[in-house]
Amino acid sequence: MATLVQVENLRKEFGNVRALDGVSFRVDAGEWIAIMGPSGSGKTTLINILGGLDTPTAGQAVVDGTDVARLDEAGLTRFRAEKIGFIFQQFHLVPYLTAVENVMLAQYFHSTTDEKEAQQSLERVGLGDRIEHLPSQLSGGEQQRVAVARALINHPKLILADEPTGNLDEANEEIVLSLLRELHNEGHTILMVTHAPSIGRLADRRIEFAHGHLVQAAVASLKPELA
Amino acid sequence: MFARLLGESFARNPRRKVLTAAALVIGMAVATATLTIALEVGDRLAREFRSLGANLLVTPESDTLPVEIGGVDYRPVDEGAYLNEADLGKLKTIFWRHNILGFTPFLDVPAYVSETGGATTLIGTWYKHEVPVPDGTKFETGASATHPWWKVQGRWFQDGADECVVGAGLAEKYPAAFAIGKTIHLTQNQVSGDGRPLVVTGIISTGDAEDNAVLLPLPVAQEISGHPGKFRQLFVSALTKPADALAERGERAQTDKNIQLTPTEYDRWFCSPYISSIGFQIRTVLPGTDVHAIRRVAETEGRILTRVGTLLWIVTLAALGAAALAIAATSATTVLERRAEIGVMKALGASNALVGGIFLAEQVLLAIAGGAIGFFVGAGLARFLGESVFGTPAAPRLILFPVVLALAAVIAMIGSLVPLRRAAHFRPAVILRGE
Amino acid sequence: MFWRLVFQLLRGSRGRLGVAILAIVSGAAVISALLNLDLGVQNKLTQEFRTLGANIVISPASGAPAQISGAEVPSLMPERDVLAALQQLPSAQVSAAAPYLYIVARAQNIRVVVAGTWPDQAQKLDATWKLEGNWVRSREDQSQCLVGRNVARRMQLALGNPLELHYMDRSAQCRVAGIVDAGGAEDNQVFASLSAVQSLANLPGQIGVAQLSVTGTAQIVADYAARLAAALPQYQVRPIRQVTEAEGALLGRIRLLIVSMVLLILILTALCVLGTMAALAMERRKDVGLMKSLGGSISRIVGIFLAEVGVLGAVGGLLGTILGAALAYWMGLRVFGTAISPRWEVFPATIALMIVVTLAGALPLRMLGNVKPAEILRGE
Repeated sequence: MATLVQVENLRKEFGNVRALDGVSFRVDAGEWIAIMGPSGSGKTTLINILGGLDTPTAGQAVVDGTDVARLDEAGLTRFRAEKIGFIFQQFHLVPYLTAVENVMLAQYFHSTTDEKEAQQSLERVGLGDRIEHLPSQLSGGEQQRVAVARALINHPKLILADEPTGNLDEANEEIVLSLLRELHNEGHTILMVTHAPSIGRLADRRIEFAHGHLVQAAVASLKPELA
Repeated sequence: MFARLLGESFARNPRRKVLTAAALVIGMAVATATLTIALEVGDRLAREFRSLGANLLVTPESDTLPVEIGGVDYRPVDEGAYLNEADLGKLKTIFWRHNILGFTPFLDVPAYVSETGGATTLIGTWYKHEVPVPDGTKFETGASATHPWWKVQGRWFQDGADECVVGAGLAEKYPAAFAIGKTIHLTQNQVSGDGRPLVVTGIISTGDAEDNAVLLPLPVAQEISGHPGKFRQLFVSALTKPADALAERGERAQTDKNIQLTPTEYDRWFCSPYISSIGFQIRTVLPGTDVHAIRRVAETEGRILTRVGTLLWIVTLAALGAAALAIAATSATTVLERRAEIGVMKALGASNALVGGIFLAEQVLLAIAGGAIGFFVGAGLARFLGESVFGTPAAPRLILFPVVLALAAVIAMIGSLVPLRRAAHFRPAVILRGE
Repeated sequence: MFWRLVFQLLRGSRGRLGVAILAIVSGAAVISALLNLDLGVQNKLTQEFRTLGANIVISPASGAPAQISGAEVPSLMPERDVLAALQQLPSAQVSAAAPYLYIVARAQNIRVVVAGTWPDQAQKLDATWKLEGNWVRSREDQSQCLVGRNVARRMQLALGNPLELHYMDRSAQCRVAGIVDAGGAEDNQVFASLSAVQSLANLPGQIGVAQLSVTGTAQIVADYAARLAAALPQYQVRPIRQVTEAEGALLGRIRLLIVSMVLLILILTALCVLGTMAALAMERRKDVGLMKSLGGSISRIVGIFLAEVGVLGAVGGLLGTILGAALAYWMGLRVFGTAISPRWEVFPATIALMIVVTLAGALPLRMLGNVKPAEILRGE
């Protein structure tokens, strides 16, 4: 299978603190990867760099043939719009916009808006009856499903999810995870940060971090079990 | 702990304070500047109005009817009463002496010019004359102060010299006789020989009857008319305050026995620079005179001053309102920004009063500091505005300092009270959730 | 989507933006009021200055503009010529015009200046006169006259008394209709109808001088005088400098004052918007971080916010302008006693000014360019 993400000797320093210290790994297209490790081990930093929200101090991070480290501000912006779909722990919806408008916002920054398509993507995550609701009128799980719809709307190459279920109760966690599973089955590549082993086990592969290092990049694949 | 919280609050977010402080400084600077200008504008404009010339006319009381047309008295010199030039210094001894900006005596003498054989009027006056004041000083005044619109081509006559300035109308009619540098001879009657020789130094154009007359130094006119040390009319230019009800009562009390001012009213009238009280004071030092307000000038001036004054006060209030709004808005902003902090404090059990106290104290301290700086900036601004509008800088008024500080404090407090009151109604949980 | 976003944002932070719009509306109101006033004040004040009396004088080319018994032969001009010239020119600017024929007559054996004029116009020319009794309403009324205060005092004349005027071997009689307190040379004069004085002096159809009160700026008065001079080449037409010069200087100063106030208030409005916008920018950092992570370029994001602010400025400006026109109307009534009607040119000017000011006030939005989405979204 084709390599979608290739990380080579990636380093990121915040002042004296090394968040990432020579990380290397690769991800094939269609893989579902769980990135695990304790707080402060560099998981989120890695996600931010891969998503073009942050730039590495040294090393390479190639996503779909583009080295993120070499992009300028405008290049990063385009990269985020075209190749990445983000799902955050805190959902991060724009509070003044309705559910459908939050989805359309991603379309708007990508190219042109298509309200029909946005509605369909909300229907897909099971929010067909919540289209015109504001985030404050939605439950946490519903908000996160809007975020998933938003992440998918531009057909990104790579979905980056940072603790997507961290703020959700069990029932909603299950809904969001099944959505991710569906995406994975459709062939999307997903990089997911989590520290819940039970969730990590759902992924094809786990990458474990500690103090900015990769502890275990083994192909601890649980795929056969799931398949 | 209160002080410590306050200190922390200042130290922690200096950059955000900058905006509030800037708003305070600019807002209070504008307030100071507009107030300074508004306080001064009456005085300044009154001074500007003196470009209209004299507003008081002094004539002898027991006079015959002046035969005056277009500003020139055609009476023969042996008719009517005169005033003494020597008394004029007393004008600068009255209560409102500093408001007397200038005065000019006039003596009109019908005469003949030998060169043309024609009758004309001589106007004896001062251009720039040093008047000895009884306190030993000198006061320079004359037509330059009371008739500033008079324009001379060439130059004015020297005070007391055998020189004269000829009206443009005459000069046009007899260009040969009245050219600059020519000598003319003036006599009281047509037959008598050579007359008094005077050198023409300039051509005057006043847009009035003087255009057809010859202007010459007062002593020369006195000599020709045979009335040394005398004059007929005195034009006084005085800084006055627009007339109000008291001014009118004071004026009427002079002539109407039925109107009596109470002693307090009288004092207030006497000590206000109304045109009637200044006229009254002039009559006291120059007995035997009639002092009239030149109503056309005085009334126009009074009315326009009152109107512009009202206008400016309204504008000043508007500017103050805008300043208050700017300050209130930024104060409100600082409070709004820190709702999370308020939430934490309340979660820890702080009462609304304590939270409010900390924020209000902070705003008031900021307001006082900002107001103080604003005052000085505003004083500079007022100087600049005064300079550009009136040509002389407006002096700062220290009396405004406490006013501006208090204003700043009150406005900042009102500005933060509204959001603080709202914050008091918020449940900490809502704020902390960050929505 | 762009405008949808803009309006949702406007709706979303209406509380915060309420403060900004309040600032803009009041700023615009004050500015539009002042601009209306500045344009109106000129008219009103020139009107006020008309109480200074005539500002243009028409007289024979040279010589004394009067007939003096015993002095030089007077220069006169035919009344008809002057009236014809006046009728050629637009009469709207002329608030009053009166011919004068001065003679020195005798009454009760006292020499007194008698001015023959049109009493109805003389009254308008000298608005500051105080009159005891009645004005003479008709130009043709030869039976009544007005006397100056000093004349009345010296000749012990009271209202209704007859006054006998002698000039050479002729005489005329009139009844004292009013006593004039002018605070000037007019206090020593008698005012009679022009035709009466003309027949007394045997100078039919002749006048010595004509005075005009022309409304408008110094420039308008000068222009009018120039056109009048062109129509009357044989006579002297002079603007009275005492009046026109002082008027010009004073109006200039007053306008300068108003303009500087407008500038100060503009600064304050911008400041107020600036404060609100700074807070708004601070508040919106999270949204901006999010939009950036979704691939929105900073120019696009700031564009949305600027449009938001522009709408704010336009709406605030519009409301403020209307409010300001009403304010100017009220101030006109309060200060000048007559309303100042709004000028249409003030509307676009104020709204444009407010948009510019608001955009300037939106400067803090620039700091959004530095927002690092990674830091913001981490939730700090």
